[in-house]
Amino acid sequence: MTDPSPSPELPLPGELRVLLFAALRERAGWRERHLPVTGGITPAAVWEQLGLEPADAAATVRVAINQQFATWHSPLAGGDELAFLPPISGG
Amino acid sequence: MAAPLLSIALEPGPFQPLQALERWHGQLRHRLGHLPAAESSFVGRVRPHSGAGVPLAALELEHYPGMTEAQLRQLAAAAADNPEVAAVLVRHRIGRVLPGEPIVLVAVAADRRGPAQRCCQELLEALKHEAPFWKREWLLDGSRQWLEGNTPL
Repeated sequence: MTDPSPSPELPLPGELRVLLFAALRERAGWRERHLPVTGGITPAAVWEQLGLEPADAAATVRVAINQQFATWHSPLAGGDELAFLPPISGG
Repeated sequence: MAAPLLSIALEPGPFQPLQALERWHGQLRHRLGHLPAAESSFVGRVRPHSGAGVPLAALELEHYPGMTEAQLRQLAAAAADNPEVAAVLVRHRIGRVLPGEPIVLVAVAADRRGPAQRCCQELLEALKHEAPFWKREWLLDGSRQWLEGNTPL
């Protein structure tokens, strides 16, 4: 498996850690990014801010905050780990 | 009755379902003093063909380290939320899995066949949709494609 982006440094205190998996990671060309947290930021706002595709992701992509499923409009805080999860295919 | 015993693990390399079941039986005898009367198990193996029907070289399993294990544990506890279920075993491959190799093992031990079979089926369906795993098919020519979703029940 190849990943064009090098592994980033650890997030600074108070930063949001954003993770992509599988097809989303390959489409975006990166695995992990760190963002400063601004008031009222949500997964939907992060998706848009990072220019991720597709624009209407909520129908297919799921969101996890600190490794728990969450909604696209859940509030985020500094230090949170936000992951965007493409359609799951386990078992 | 005590909370069901949960044995959950990801397997980074090939595993033998029958050996895993035997080890689990040993743990159950040790913890419960006996094996429960009913047991249901399911083994899933990699198909030799892709979803599009061409020969498959391998299936790659990506997961979300930390969340996948926690989610499997949570799903197992939810499916086993029945006083007749004594124990649940889950083994799930990650990494590159070859056609014919086991990819998942779910087993449930209970006092009666109904709870054992229902819990096993519920947990299998739940983990296919709610545990963060992603499959990628690798074909013989080196091309590859992420799967979006599961095969029908």
